[in-house]
Amino acid sequence: MTRLSFSLVLVALAALACREQTEVPPGANQPGATGIVIAKHDDRVFAGGVAPAAERVTGSEVNAANAVDAGAKLFTGMNCDGCHGGGAVGAVGPSLTDGRWRYGGSDADIFRSIAEGRPKGMPAFAGVLQPPMIWRLVAYIKSLAPPKDVPTESWVDAGTPAPRDSGTGPLH
Amino acid sequence: MRLRFRLHAASAIVAMPLLAVCAAPAAAQNAGDWTMPSKDYAATRFSELAQITPANASRLHPVWTFSTGTLGGHEGQPLVVRNTMYVVTPYPNVLYAFDLTKDGYPLKWKYRPPVDQNSLGIACCDAVNRGAVYGDGMIIYNLLDGHTVAVDAATGQERWKTKIADIAQGETTPMAPLVVKNRVIVGASGGEFGILGWVKGLDLTTGKVAWTATNIGPDSLMLAKPGTFKPFYDKSPNLGVSSWPGDTWKHGGAPVWGWMSYDPDLDLVYYGSGNPGPYNADQRLGDNKWTTSVLARRPEDGSLVWAYQFTPHDGWDFDADAEMVLVDLTIKGKARKALVHFDKNGFEYTMDRATGELLLAEPYVHVNWASRIDLATGRPVLDSAKTTGASKGNVKDICPTLEGGKSPASPVAYSPRTGLFYASTNSMCMDYAAVLTAHLKGTPYMGINSPYHAGSDKNLGAFIAWDATTGKRKWAIEEPFPVWSGSLATRGNVVFYGTLDGWFKAADASTGAVLWKFKVGSGVVGNPITFSGADGKQYVAIYAGIGGDWLLLSGDVKSDDPADVRDPADFARDLARHTSQGGLVWIFALQ
Repeated sequence: MTRLSFSLVLVALAALACREQTEVPPGANQPGATGIVIAKHDDRVFAGGVAPAAERVTGSEVNAANAVDAGAKLFTGMNCDGCHGGGAVGAVGPSLTDGRWRYGGSDADIFRSIAEGRPKGMPAFAGVLQPPMIWRLVAYIKSLAPPKDVPTESWVDAGTPAPRDSGTGPLH
Repeated sequence: MRLRFRLHAASAIVAMPLLAVCAAPAAAQNAGDWTMPSKDYAATRFSELAQITPANASRLHPVWTFSTGTLGGHEGQPLVVRNTMYVVTPYPNVLYAFDLTKDGYPLKWKYRPPVDQNSLGIACCDAVNRGAVYGDGMIIYNLLDGHTVAVDAATGQERWKTKIADIAQGETTPMAPLVVKNRVIVGASGGEFGILGWVKGLDLTTGKVAWTATNIGPDSLMLAKPGTFKPFYDKSPNLGVSSWPGDTWKHGGAPVWGWMSYDPDLDLVYYGSGNPGPYNADQRLGDNKWTTSVLARRPEDGSLVWAYQFTPHDGWDFDADAEMVLVDLTIKGKARKALVHFDKNGFEYTMDRATGELLLAEPYVHVNWASRIDLATGRPVLDSAKTTGASKGNVKDICPTLEGGKSPASPVAYSPRTGLFYASTNSMCMDYAAVLTAHLKGTPYMGINSPYHAGSDKNLGAFIAWDATTGKRKWAIEEPFPVWSGSLATRGNVVFYGTLDGWFKAADASTGAVLWKFKVGSGVVGNPITFSGADGKQYVAIYAGIGGDWLLLSGDVKSDDPADVRDPADFARDLARHTSQGGLVWIFALQ
């Protein structure tokens, strides 16, 4: 098994792959016109037990028709929600809805996180997912808008302004 | 410094055979020690120490505390052996040995094994460790990444290390081993990753795997031998295959992540198996034996002697990994060698531990997925409106939740003085929307969305006293949040438990009156112990450090990652007002 055509998702996407096998070494990742080089990191978990093949991916399909909806289906179908929680709000894996990113939040960064995996158990999915599918996951994840005020969690009654001067000391 | 250490290590190795000869037999323990996870083979978590009583417990005060330097959920409990306290941290599973004879309890040594960080993403529910066990002069415990290690209790030198599990197959190993005779019994988690669950018996001296027994699959793999395997109810051969469609048993779950107990007279080890996978029950029609079951095995060769399934065809993630407490009780006028088990599914089961016969099963929290357990067949009487599966859509308001009426992570205590069990309980219900899912190695195998809501009680949890001979509650201390700590009972008639909002409490074992409480700095998901100090005084120890399932459920208690900021859980929005992550060991004594 080199590539798993995942039965629960859009098998037709497999035909859309825009990639070439390459000899470019790991670490030479350059999102943009020259594309993304998917690297295989031996110390990562491989989804399905299949390591990604080194390859260059050019172009992005984040804006493809229905990419967000297809990505949402993939998020469940590829068991992403088992770690990141339904709606990607965070469970044993981190929240993907807070607008914060350990490894960068650009489309290419998120693509690489999914394709190559990350330390602490994020599996590499490029062995079982075609690049167009990964782009659709990126589209879904980027569609999850963070709440307006992430940094502050307050138990102060919203109707009661916080006291400005709590005493009558000499500093006032 | 380093040179000196190495010299010490070398002399320790030379002295080792001598030490082994001089070591007292494992059975001859000081009653004031705490040498195994559940205190004794019967898993009672009862101590004969009696200096702390309802009359003086209000004088408890902290005498010592130590930061473990880790933020994972601090489940499990320390050990105390011959004036040394041993603490295993969550990942990265550092083992600390504290000298209880010296002021400030300085470290004698610490042991820092390498642990594969990928195990953090394969462990379903935080990087917990449920503790170590003492045996033959060694401290033995599991690393999260599928290894068992044995460390010299005196020197901290590693004696052996055995790979028991494979994280590439979805297996992780947070459970606490049990030492019985010349065996170390271990199991693996992974009910959320499609494992084929098992237990192994390791050789105590060498760590080599002596036997492996699966919890599902053909009788040959399960070590269910003709003439030896005598279940009370389901007697057909190979039920571990025939109660599954096709070869779905091969990824059928049945993890082992709870507590083990042992009856020396019957020579049986007891443990519970976890949920079947995936959570979508439509994909595995049949009973799915022997998931969600109690299994009784011979420690020497792993032979299965009997098994009983609490929740056939589990569609609610009702793992049966909770402790099997072995006590002699009078049930309906007859003296029985009993096994008492508070299942996730909300029922307390009192069984005959020699035969596997069910004697009594009563709900200890509000239960609506089954009306009762039929004692003649041993099977639950289901409410068809609460059965689940992708074809059933979103099934609403199932009680209790998949966290359990009591979590297996929160073991009960039993006091022979009162004859009562003491249990941390949860009053929550869930919706359960299963979906089709595919097994993909290295990723979860679940297929579920199951939000929780508050149950019918006005509080989310309670600490209860329970009579397992009648199946009735004696008293309850209501708590605003689910109660997730283990319990401790003492001859002094004081019981101890901790809360998610960070209180450690002492209560009168007879009346449930709260005698004392102290805020320990983080929510409590660990288990209290008590021991005699070098000065002869009674001490009580507990971990603080919210986590485990509560890392997942109340995400806004996370504190160490600026790239991971979460909303509070809908059903317990206020929890983060009272706690955040943080690992501490506390010791208390009378002032």
